[in-house]
Amino acid sequence: MKIQKVGIVVVGSGASGSILAAKLARGGKDVVILEAGPQRGHDDLISSTLWARRLKWGGEPVVETGDHKISHVFNAGFGVGGSAMHHYGVWPRLHPVDFNMQSNYGEGLDWPIGYADLRPYYDEVQKEVGISGDAKSEVWRPAGDDYPMPGVPQFTQGRILAKGFNAKGMNTAPLPLAVNSIPYNGRRACIWDGWCDAGCPIGALANPVATYLPQALSGGARLMSNATVIKVLTSTDGMRCVGVRAVVDGEEMEFEADHVVLAAFAVQNPRLLLASATEKHPHGLGNGSFALGKYIMTHPAGLVYGLFEEETQCYLGAFGGQLVNQDAYDNKSTHASADAFGSYQWMIAQAVKPNDLLGIATTRPDLFGAPLDDFMKRAAKHFASMTAVVEDLPMAQNRVTLSDEKDPHGVPLAQVHHDSHPKTRALWQAVLEEGKSVFEAAGAKEVWTGPQGAMHIMGGTVMGDNPNTSVTDSYGQLHDVKNLYVAGPGLFPTSGGVNPTFTIHALASRTAQHLLERVAA
Amino acid sequence: MSVSRRQFLKGSGVGLLTFYVSGCQVSLTPEQAKQQQADFLTLTGPQVSTLEALGNVLVPGAASKGLAHFLDQQLSARGQDQLLMIRYLGVPQPFDGFYTAGLAAVESVSRAAHGKNFAELKSDQKTDLVMQMAQTNPEGWQGPPAPFFYFVVRSDAVDVVYGTTMGFDELDVPYMPHIEPPTGWRL
Repeated sequence: MKIQKVGIVVVGSGASGSILAAKLARGGKDVVILEAGPQRGHDDLISSTLWARRLKWGGEPVVETGDHKISHVFNAGFGVGGSAMHHYGVWPRLHPVDFNMQSNYGEGLDWPIGYADLRPYYDEVQKEVGISGDAKSEVWRPAGDDYPMPGVPQFTQGRILAKGFNAKGMNTAPLPLAVNSIPYNGRRACIWDGWCDAGCPIGALANPVATYLPQALSGGARLMSNATVIKVLTSTDGMRCVGVRAVVDGEEMEFEADHVVLAAFAVQNPRLLLASATEKHPHGLGNGSFALGKYIMTHPAGLVYGLFEEETQCYLGAFGGQLVNQDAYDNKSTHASADAFGSYQWMIAQAVKPNDLLGIATTRPDLFGAPLDDFMKRAAKHFASMTAVVEDLPMAQNRVTLSDEKDPHGVPLAQVHHDSHPKTRALWQAVLEEGKSVFEAAGAKEVWTGPQGAMHIMGGTVMGDNPNTSVTDSYGQLHDVKNLYVAGPGLFPTSGGVNPTFTIHALASRTAQHLLERVAA
Repeated sequence: MSVSRRQFLKGSGVGLLTFYVSGCQVSLTPEQAKQQQADFLTLTGPQVSTLEALGNVLVPGAASKGLAHFLDQQLSARGQDQLLMIRYLGVPQPFDGFYTAGLAAVESVSRAAHGKNFAELKSDQKTDLVMQMAQTNPEGWQGPPAPFFYFVVRSDAVDVVYGTTMGFDELDVPYMPHIEPPTGWRL
């Protein structure tokens, strides 16, 4: 078997893996990135809802159960750039109130850090990547530097829906997007054609092939695609990680490393840790307290649709939307429904295509034949939509475990159970009612809602101060194997009610700094 | 790693998909494949007949847009390269069994209720059966849940009718591609 000696192995080339690799490599470290999926570059990003499906998870199957499944294939990515290759670039921050929910409300879990700990990294990443927004209009925004680019433009759909919010006394602001409203840091400005989900080949949207992967490579990191890690290797005393075993282009190899960072997303990270059990770690690495795999979360999507008299130009803009509303974000326990708990935000006036899971036709699955064709012709001109990102309360029963079934390399498949917390479901329902009322206030001729979708995947390797209830510390360092780290949304103890990618970057940047200091020491 | 718009358009021929006409590989749109009677690799003649009839009920014009050739070509593609929406819907690969079981169930229910293949039913009979499928398993249905099968095939039909550059044009929606889908197969 081939053996390579490296300084730091980063498993995964998505949002967290790419920024870590960039900062570590540019800090002078010897870094190898192992990506399970294929190589991808800008010219692979074909503007088509069908071709975009190649960017979604294409690795070993994940068995899903529960009353609110996590939609792993849709939410995960496959190939260089990972899930961030098809993300929509909606980059709001968590709020201070998200970090201590157990202490303040007796709900969910506490983070081992607060907003103040993360703010410098939000600001740093925001400057490096570029975010378009209008901080002053975001009356709910936590403390932070102003956005480096002006807010994204408003098209007809946005103006129509903003009227609905205004009529109800609610605020809107340009949606904070990691999409260039003007040229930034050598990357081009967006032309607002709504192909974000298919990957952005002009580099206007901050996916890893446009942002941190080039930095990683120019810093000397080596990126190996079609390199699937099948085991994390530990020393005989179980105290240290000594590297990983991987299958690279069909051949088994070992990478001996001083440090290993697992950045393979919220399901594959715990799968790998569970499957790397040894005599010293009989239940898996990082699972001494049986917290590994627990608290998987996914945001319920509150989907609201409508048809308007006016033409909406609903094909223009960004896939994530034009505007945001977070008026109620900090009122986690005060909702129209007494049973509801949590935060949420509205992503307003999303660019939409005729087909696909989030396309116009799918919003009315009851229609077929001539009525469907009639609807499509009307909706193509008069459709509008917005989506609520609803906080998902963590539950220990929502977890990643290993299946009895194995992949061709002998690694058990992941199975993921996820039920919706009753308070989360109540919040989702209350939010939909609010959304419908906004559309009515905006003058919609028809209003309808969609099913409880599943956006983003978080948890499973949650961070915490207490080794008895968490898998890692605040840097993602495993409590029981000190040179093994986890990065990505799996670290989140709670989901918040915002898109996770900005926070993933901020956390990973913090971990990179910690690692640079540690490795130097 | 950024490239210009002109370079994107130059790359628009990347990844052409192939059909077989008289044993020869050719790059075609599904609609062209239908017109040229390209060979089917996975679906049988009766399955094609049922699928095209069902597709036309779900989305008018789906058969002539090449629904059956699209599905057949995709069912023979490698797992991670498949472009079918069923990928998102929790059905384990390979998907052949899902589709063939669903099509068999449509035929079985059609013959039990009317003594005819689905494609031979009158228009209102087809519509009634599809209406039932959309809501529940019709009596005697043996296959994947009928409403789910309805949803999946409807999505495929929507893809070939509305999800193409031509489909956008027909809805008067600007396609505005950065990189156009492969020229031989504009989906």
